[in-house]
Amino acid sequence: MTTKLTCRDCRNFAPVDVTKGICHCTKEMMKADDEQCKDFNLLPKCNNCKNFERTPDTIEMGICKISTHEPKFFAYPDMVAVTCDHYTAN
Amino acid sequence: MPKKLKEVLVESGISMDFESGGHSPAGLTAREVNREPHLRVKKLKDIFMQTLSSANNEFPYWYTREYMLHDTEIPVVRRAMAVKAAFSHLTPVIYPGELLTMRKAAFFRGSFPMPWLSEGYYMAKEDELYQEALKRGSASADQYSKFGTGGGNVTKSFGKVVAIAGKFGMRTEEVPGLLKLAKTWVGKSVDDLGHKYEQMVPDYAVKEALMRNILCMFDSGYTLPLGREVINYYYPLEYGIDGLLAMAKELKNAVAGRADGDGIKGTNRLFNYEAIILGLEGLKIWISNYAKEARRLEGLETNVVQKKEYSEIGERLEWLSASKPRDFRDALQMILTIHLASVNEDAISGMSPGRIAQVLFPYFEQDIASGRISEDEVMELLEQYRLAISSIDCFASAGVVGGVLSGNTFNTVSIGGLTKDGKHACNRLEYLLIESGISNQMPQPTLAMLYDEKLPEDFLLLGMECIKTGVGYPAFMNNQNGMTFMMKQYGDEGMTVEEARAWAIGGCLESSPCCWKPLHLNGKEYFIPGGAGQPTSVGVHFLAMPKILECVLWNGLDGRTSEKVFEPHNLKLETYDELWAQFKKYWQKAVDILALTNNIQHDVWRKNNMGIINSFLKPDCLEKGHLIDEMGYRFNGTFSVESVGTITAVNSLAAIKKLVYTDKSVTLDDLKKAVRDNFGFKTAQEVNSFSLSDQEKREDAPSGWDKMHFMCLQAPKYGNDEFFADEILLEWENFFCPDCSNYESLYAHKMYPCQISVSTHGAMGSATIATPDGRLAGTTYADASMSAFPGTDRNGVYALLSSAAIWDHTMSQNSQLNVKIHPTAIQGPTGSRKLLDLIQAYMRKGGFHIQFNVVDTKVLKDAQKNPQNYRDLMVRVAGFTQYWVEIGKPVQDELIARTEYEGI
Repeated sequence: MTTKLTCRDCRNFAPVDVTKGICHCTKEMMKADDEQCKDFNLLPKCNNCKNFERTPDTIEMGICKISTHEPKFFAYPDMVAVTCDHYTAN
Repeated sequence: MPKKLKEVLVESGISMDFESGGHSPAGLTAREVNREPHLRVKKLKDIFMQTLSSANNEFPYWYTREYMLHDTEIPVVRRAMAVKAAFSHLTPVIYPGELLTMRKAAFFRGSFPMPWLSEGYYMAKEDELYQEALKRGSASADQYSKFGTGGGNVTKSFGKVVAIAGKFGMRTEEVPGLLKLAKTWVGKSVDDLGHKYEQMVPDYAVKEALMRNILCMFDSGYTLPLGREVINYYYPLEYGIDGLLAMAKELKNAVAGRADGDGIKGTNRLFNYEAIILGLEGLKIWISNYAKEARRLEGLETNVVQKKEYSEIGERLEWLSASKPRDFRDALQMILTIHLASVNEDAISGMSPGRIAQVLFPYFEQDIASGRISEDEVMELLEQYRLAISSIDCFASAGVVGGVLSGNTFNTVSIGGLTKDGKHACNRLEYLLIESGISNQMPQPTLAMLYDEKLPEDFLLLGMECIKTGVGYPAFMNNQNGMTFMMKQYGDEGMTVEEARAWAIGGCLESSPCCWKPLHLNGKEYFIPGGAGQPTSVGVHFLAMPKILECVLWNGLDGRTSEKVFEPHNLKLETYDELWAQFKKYWQKAVDILALTNNIQHDVWRKNNMGIINSFLKPDCLEKGHLIDEMGYRFNGTFSVESVGTITAVNSLAAIKKLVYTDKSVTLDDLKKAVRDNFGFKTAQEVNSFSLSDQEKREDAPSGWDKMHFMCLQAPKYGNDEFFADEILLEWENFFCPDCSNYESLYAHKMYPCQISVSTHGAMGSATIATPDGRLAGTTYADASMSAFPGTDRNGVYALLSSAAIWDHTMSQNSQLNVKIHPTAIQGPTGSRKLLDLIQAYMRKGGFHIQFNVVDTKVLKDAQKNPQNYRDLMVRVAGFTQYWVEIGKPVQDELIARTEYEGI
């Protein structure tokens, strides 16, 4: 399933709060849900990671396949993965 | 139209004129002093002003994921592994224009829940976890706690944002993760485990009744287990992260497997040092991640100036991830980083930076002397520091963040006081700190002036200028009182007079034990002060005196709910002495049960959730190899008993004593009937005003109560330098203060009194029926502990000071007196001098604390009607400064109602 990518999915977006952030390219305040622009740079998130496996019949939850927990530890698509050593882009 | 109380009184010839010493001018009066910050800071502040408090799951997700992986590990090491994982995975966010950087979470005002402490309070109200929290009383205060609906507060869900815990916004995309994390901690959190074991305390039902009926509204063990203390930045400044890592590894090797004469805790040192190493490694990765982000932005940036600034930030953070600060800029970034690390490790309010101008002075002095920095550049950095500290939010329940904190986190900076060898401690950087508080007026850090007769006159007068901006700081605390209290409470733990001189304010008004450490910079040695004690305002907190009186009058029942709280006393209360004796008995019963249950909660906290980072920062954990849970801190007797509603209770006792027992003009039964019937008025909730004067008569009110209500209102009141009421305060203090030492904390130290209301006089007043002093149901109590009830201090401000100083303030950790003054009353240099004279008079009488709201009440009324025009209006509440629009209505109403002094 694909969802529309917005400013808050972009690496150039510095979130100020849950509704808005500053674009590092333009220095302008942008709404978090504004549509992506030509400078869009995909932000690492679980949703974009090969190690994320979505739970069937839900768009909200899944597991991290790289976790060593038994069963695998949960993950969710919107989690930012900039600092995750195991992030592997889809 | 129903009549308001003030109209009823005017008809009877009684004025509710809350102005004292004259009349304020017509029209709105602005404050006299107003300045702007540097342009860079102004731009960042503009962002802050538009920012919503926002929360995400990043820290709790990685903490939980790591913690659950190591269920067979030694608890302290397991905890440290989780802390390291959480810090290592925080997403760095840097904004254009910043010179100082790093933040709690990936937002301007970011925070996050800590479900390992408590997981029920932020669930949906219909969720079984929330219902369970209500039943046990841990969420009862949430229902009586109000947030302001403006500013950064997210009080309602909208669009893709869900409001959580009454204040924080979270993206809908994160909510399933939040719920999953919460469910993971069910039965394992401090709240749940603590509840399991606290029920084993005999008479536990009394504790739940106290919480459910809001006689008490704060269980510190699972809400804010740390804080109201002074942090210590010494070790990172003296050694740097790598230096500390090397030290911890060396000490670990030295103690591995050795008991060294301590058969119980000696060998624990190995695990404790291992935990410290993990904590330091987490910090190192966190700082390095910010350095990498700065370098990434440097690569992206096309603007030459901004590119250079990103480069400098990157270089500084790369340096600080390993080494100790080289200059003022490094040192300021370091103390900010360490501060954020401290408040991220646990749910914390009131982690005060302490006397930072004395801590940073070595760097300032050497940089200024060598020309590495100018005073203007220092000012710009200090202004930005205020922005960074004001952005610190604490995620906790609505009852705690709204009902207690009013959204503030009390990162208080202390100024003044004495040096190690007894000279005044004021330095040039302290002047700049006050100046930056004038040019960048923000709620935090608020300033606490440790007033000593040795402080320079021009420094004190600069403080007056700052007060005249209306920001509410600096508050004045009596340095000699503070030192005396330190020696009384911590003398048993070996505190010396030199150490007592290092004390500072933790939280908004909690006197906290500190010590001196030798900092070395370029071959010169400086002794700098820093915290050396455990958290304060832990133990028995916010116990409402008016509610205890209610239980005395109604034979053990809560007046609002009629639920049984205490065993019935079955006394006829035929004399005042009998009533007073029973008041003390119920008070002691409440304190005893709350002390025991809080000990158990904190014991659960220290067994699984002990501070790692917070511990190694504090002397003498590193040297001893013991963390907070094993009393590695130098001073551990920090638990206290905190009263609320002192003056409302004193006035009520005065009314009963005068009307029932002295004059015999009313019977106790008739007075109780009138109180129960709210003297014929609607409740404050029905009227939606929490100020006494705005209360409305009921249409069906019996006519007989008016006379009795007037008698109650006109009975002797505290704050007029009249002995009848003041004697009751004296009697209370002479009972309460020594009584606290009858209760023992889990660290086996005697407790002591704490007397500040923070915001609880609003929330707890909301849950209290009318009181015999004439206060009506649901209205706020008198704020603080030494403030008069609004409108009842009729003999001028010096009479108020005399009433407040009737008892020995050195018996208590604090006391609190708030005074509202119209700006015209202290205009010009003469006005500043008069204000300083007033403060000095109170200090010389032995008062501990005084602070001021310099504001025109008409402005506050206009701000309540038109909040959109007052986003940046700040007021002093009870020990802290906050944006008007972020304060709940009960406290707003109380601030408006406070007596306004038109002349002093």
